[in-house]
Amino acid sequence: MIKSRTNQIAIVLLVFLAAFVWLGAGPISAQDAPTAEPAGEVTLNDVNEVARDLWCPLCSGVRLDACELKACDQMKDVIAIKLAEGEDAASIKDYFIEQYGPQVLGEPPREGFNWLAWILPFVALALGGVFLWRQTARMMQPAEEMSAADPGSPPPGAEKQAEDDYARKLDEELAKYG
Amino acid sequence: MIFHIGYLILVTATVLAAFGMIAGFVGGRQRNVKLTLSSYHAVYAMAGLVALAAAILWYALLTDRFEVAYVWNHSERALPVFYKFSALWGGQAGSLLFWLLILSGFSVAAAFFNRRRHWAIMPYVNAVMLGTSLFFAVLLVFAANPFELASFVPQDGMGLNPLLQNYWMVLHPVMLYIGYVGLAVPFAFAVGALLSKRLDNQWVRTVRRWTLIPWMFLSAGILMGSQWAYMELGWGGYWAWDPVENASFLPWLTATAFLHSIVVQEQRGILKVWNAALIWMTYFLVILGTFTTRSGVLESVHSFARSDVGPFFLVFMVIILFGFLWLLFKRLPLLRDEQAIESYTSREAAFMANNWLFAGIAFATLWGTFFPMFSEILTGDRISVAAPFFNKVNGPLFLLLILLMGAAPLLGWRRTSRQAFRKQFTWPLLVGAVTGVAIWLLYDAGYPAIGLAACAFAAATIVQEYVRGVQARRITSGESVPAAMGNLWRRNGRRYGGYLVHLGIVLIAAAVIGNEFFQQNTNVTLANGESVTLGRYEIAYTGLEPNRKVNHVEYGARLMIFDQESGKTLGSILPRRNIYDKTPEQPTSEVGLRMTLIEDTYVVLNGWETGGSTATFTMYINPLTAWMWIGGLVLVLGTLIASWPHPGRRRSEAADSVAYAVGSAGD
Amino acid sequence: MADLSDIRSETQDAPNTPDAQAPAPAPGMVVVWRAIFVGILLLFVVLLAWRLWDTNRSEHRASGMAPPFTFTTFEGETISLDDLQGQGVVVNFWASWCDPCRDEAALLEQAWRREKDNGIVFIGLDYLDQEPAAKAYLAEFGITYPNGPDLRSEAARRYGIKGVPETFFINSAGEIAQTVIGPIVNEAQMESYLAEIRP
Repeated sequence: MIKSRTNQIAIVLLVFLAAFVWLGAGPISAQDAPTAEPAGEVTLNDVNEVARDLWCPLCSGVRLDACELKACDQMKDVIAIKLAEGEDAASIKDYFIEQYGPQVLGEPPREGFNWLAWILPFVALALGGVFLWRQTARMMQPAEEMSAADPGSPPPGAEKQAEDDYARKLDEELAKYG
Repeated sequence: MIFHIGYLILVTATVLAAFGMIAGFVGGRQRNVKLTLSSYHAVYAMAGLVALAAAILWYALLTDRFEVAYVWNHSERALPVFYKFSALWGGQAGSLLFWLLILSGFSVAAAFFNRRRHWAIMPYVNAVMLGTSLFFAVLLVFAANPFELASFVPQDGMGLNPLLQNYWMVLHPVMLYIGYVGLAVPFAFAVGALLSKRLDNQWVRTVRRWTLIPWMFLSAGILMGSQWAYMELGWGGYWAWDPVENASFLPWLTATAFLHSIVVQEQRGILKVWNAALIWMTYFLVILGTFTTRSGVLESVHSFARSDVGPFFLVFMVIILFGFLWLLFKRLPLLRDEQAIESYTSREAAFMANNWLFAGIAFATLWGTFFPMFSEILTGDRISVAAPFFNKVNGPLFLLLILLMGAAPLLGWRRTSRQAFRKQFTWPLLVGAVTGVAIWLLYDAGYPAIGLAACAFAAATIVQEYVRGVQARRITSGESVPAAMGNLWRRNGRRYGGYLVHLGIVLIAAAVIGNEFFQQNTNVTLANGESVTLGRYEIAYTGLEPNRKVNHVEYGARLMIFDQESGKTLGSILPRRNIYDKTPEQPTSEVGLRMTLIEDTYVVLNGWETGGSTATFTMYINPLTAWMWIGGLVLVLGTLIASWPHPGRRRSEAADSVAYAVGSAGD
Repeated sequence: MADLSDIRSETQDAPNTPDAQAPAPAPGMVVVWRAIFVGILLLFVVLLAWRLWDTNRSEHRASGMAPPFTFTTFEGETISLDDLQGQGVVVNFWASWCDPCRDEAALLEQAWRREKDNGIVFIGLDYLDQEPAAKAYLAEFGITYPNGPDLRSEAARRYGIKGVPETFFINSAGEIAQTVIGPIVNEAQMESYLAEIRP
């Protein structure tokens, strides 16, 4: 089994590569991507399409499209203005980051220290996997290397006697008190 | 006066818990019968005192004694009795008392049901349970006294948070607390087993059921919380990866991992250290979760008001973390594996992979939950880590987990032969592949096709196992199909109940995938009589219906739902807004919901012109959501079947203890 | 997950511990790994403790020397608190979505017009707000003292505000002389605070 360890590690790496590709792509929505605005009217739905990816800076963990604060309504108004001016979702997002900081994103920005947020879970998983693999490989060694008897275990004699005494007494007492 | 007595009772309980804890530890160590018995009695007496304290607080709530600051802050005269009752866990101090009450209940149950068994372990179990009780009693006495009196007698209370005035919100915390607190029992057993060096399979078997039941309540509590969020918060979703939600999810993850790996220990005598560590982590995460929701270190919509409990929790967490670790390191030589793993394609290897994934998800969730804290400390920038992060990181891991869930039952213990491999995997893989291709062709959507294919694979595995089990019974005993099914559950509940739990999880996963990838929504303002088309429906607004209730006014907007093609009336729904008298600036929302097995029509009333001539709505079509709740029911049913005492086993346990009694008497 | 009944029943004896696994890791390494593990846990607890302490500390608003800040007004002018040394400064945090702010807006403007020649500067920092709404608000109350967005809430966090409106009165030595939480309701109150910071 161990001779094929490199293969196994390669598989693990592949899995993680796939995970990173996923990360890079991000989940797609079944609906179409935010529609490119023709010069026409900006509807509430268009605004919310952008707002779905933003988080209310005054609340914690409330998505902008579901937020009912006046401040959020004003943010949505600004989105409507910017959409009408022909800006796209990405530049609107950048504008809000500029205004309120990265907390409007709902996820750590992929830069600097915050990369760690994205990487560490997978690194930890990979390390755990390698550790597990090695442990398993060690356990899979031929069975004869593992002897059955343990010379180090305490002899049952006297100690067991004492324990049984204690158990009986406890049982008696418990029977008395229920 | 009575409230002074209430406080005095808490003080007494603190002293008693301290005494009982010491009695348990010393009694267990010195094998002192008197002290051991004292620890039992302390457990019972403690429960009595705590119940009395809770009764006094309930009395204060139900009789509107607003001179008690807690009642003043969390109740009001006009509050319906039902919510006055539930206000006990509506605020910081009261919910800590409630925690303690449930903990005492579990302590009594653990002590009582095991009073004839595990005689070496039980004094320590009592001691650990009382130790935890001691901690919460200290909190109540020193940091969050529920009986604190106001300096004057207010005329009326401030009212309960309107968001909590919902029957799901009454039930959900109770379930969650029972699950959460109950996980202290397996920890107590683990400490007891380590301290007493009784590390054989006995305690493992006992602890499995004591984990399974809290786990079931925790699962149900989490799902009910989702249900509440879905119905009340009105953003079309059910889970936001909020720190408080994560706090309940983290111990669930490690407890689930534990429930799986404990099977391996039972069957093969390996993973002993890992199992002990999992229980320890689960218990630590319970305390950590309680700490984070109550200390303000993480921002969340669900947090309690800040208070001084933080430092106490820190001390307690240090004791748990390092005390247990010290004990575990000391006992490592006794925790050697008894057998080896023989093949990567074996059931035990699959269980290990399962634990690896669960631990990975738990770590990612913990890391993401606390990352804003790390980031702010180190970079000074405030960031938020919410659904986008967790979906991206945990999504693929959950996918792997579901695949594994499908594959693991098909593998044999020790190793799987090539022949068995083919026989076991053909059908499930086929079903999964067909589902995936069908969804991909129908909807041209890659990720949901993969996800639902995995779900179909796992479901097909379960069906195949059931079909084989029923067939085998029919061949050997000629039973009818229902009878064979019943017998499978009765005689082999652990296995076939476990499959039901898996099925519940598959259904929940399918609902999540449906919601995540196929949700449709629109925002509209409709005049009275006007309608809008969404998905397969035409939805018409037919007027506003105000309705005066005891402590609030309900404004409902009547909507008729028609089938868009045939024009047939499908039903009517009434999304509502509640404006509470005490907190008019904080209206709550009740969504209008038409639930079907295929999809939910889910409407939030956002606002209206005076008189309701026009109203604004957010409307969602949420596919497959009903299966989340059905899956929850299946999961609970499966857990009950899996933990139901086996008729034969009960006899053998009784026989065990008789044999032991006879044996020891004969010595 | 086979049934329990088919597992061999174990006795009450002490566990049967088989021999050590074949190639056990070197004892030195074990100690190192344990130390790393304990160290990570310790770090986590220390960070939690630090955060708890920090959360309790940031409950308190700024006091003593006024924290420095720089902002750009809606008109495009850059103003730094350091440049205002020697003058009394009134820093008002507000937002257009904030209803109580409306109660004090007229009074602030009135006081500014009266005091601007007496060495007192008024500054409005717009907290978590949007420019169109903010400008409409400024126009509504005819506000003429320098106002600008508090980008990324940097000043707000330094001053430890809990909400809006909050007003800090800073004297000519750069010390915070008075802090008002909530709107300033009457002229007498405003006058007494201004008196404290008049250079």
